[in-house]
Amino acid sequence: MSHTDCGMIREYLPGAATDRLSSGELDAVQGHLLSCEDCAAELELIQMLRAAPPAVPTELADHVATAVRTSRRPARRPWWGISAAAVAALALGINVSTEPREQIDAAIPGFVSETAEGELWLSDDGLLAGEPSLEGLSDEALMELLEELEAEGAA
Amino acid sequence: MTDDSRRDGGASDVELVERCRSGDEAALDALVRRHHASAYRVALSITRRDDVAQDVVQDAFIKAFRALNGFRGDAAFRTWMMTITANEARATLRKHGRWRESAIDDVAPMAVDDPDPAEQAVARRESERARAMLETLPEKQRLSVSLRVDEGLSFREIGEMIGSSEGAARVNYFHGIRRLRELMQ
Repeated sequence: MSHTDCGMIREYLPGAATDRLSSGELDAVQGHLLSCEDCAAELELIQMLRAAPPAVPTELADHVATAVRTSRRPARRPWWGISAAAVAALALGINVSTEPREQIDAAIPGFVSETAEGELWLSDDGLLAGEPSLEGLSDEALMELLEELEAEGAA
Repeated sequence: MTDDSRRDGGASDVELVERCRSGDEAALDALVRRHHASAYRVALSITRRDDVAQDVVQDAFIKAFRALNGFRGDAAFRTWMMTITANEARATLRKHGRWRESAIDDVAPMAVDDPDPAEQAVARRESERARAMLETLPEKQRLSVSLRVDEGLSFREIGEMIGSSEGAARVNYFHGIRRLRELMQ
């Protein structure tokens, strides 16, 4: 048997040990091994190695899959992390809503009315829990308020 | 060598990768289950420590899935994954230094497929001895033999993984096999 044959056959030996060869390749290997002790010994070594593969920890796949899934999820910010910006915005009176202005207006409850200056203030319906503050109201607004009260009293 | 991306009868690796990119966690699980063992054997072959190899595999998979959009598909996913694992294992060794080399009689427990009949005890011991001898080879020879025998990779793929040419991978493999045969005599 020539070295050329051995060189070709040795390329196939790992495949022969794992049933990865075509039938033609397998026939060539088996035919060669009948007369080549050197290649037969090499195949025996490969088969020995494959008979004792390193044991893979049984839980490894689960651990890896869990770790990968966790790493792909966006990190959740703690509630206090979010509120820092929100609190600052509220303290500054900044409207942080993403709603269109029309939707915000529609969502304002009925007891809130608008003054001529565009400032929002609460009517008496909205101040049931406390003393109405009349400070700063214009004369016109005060008059409107009196008229409302008189009308309700008459009713 | 055959393409074994469908060896478990499921979707191909390419299909699973595409689904993974869309956030399909079942596809992620399937890819991990299909390739974690090969990655572990590569990591163990380089680091020689079970606990370190497990950490390496976990980190390698996390990095691979983060970089999944960069996977072009011109290499098999398994080879790509194993290459990332090998790089991660080498980086771990560089970071922590090499651990004590395993003694021949101080290797990890081996998984033997055969049952335990007395008549197979000699064969089992010989297999374990061959594995232990494999651990004594230089890294590139050890990896070349392991990747060829255990994983069925081509010499081109092995060359990519060990950072050498296809020809150098072939030489490393045959030198390793030759050396193992000498050690086993």
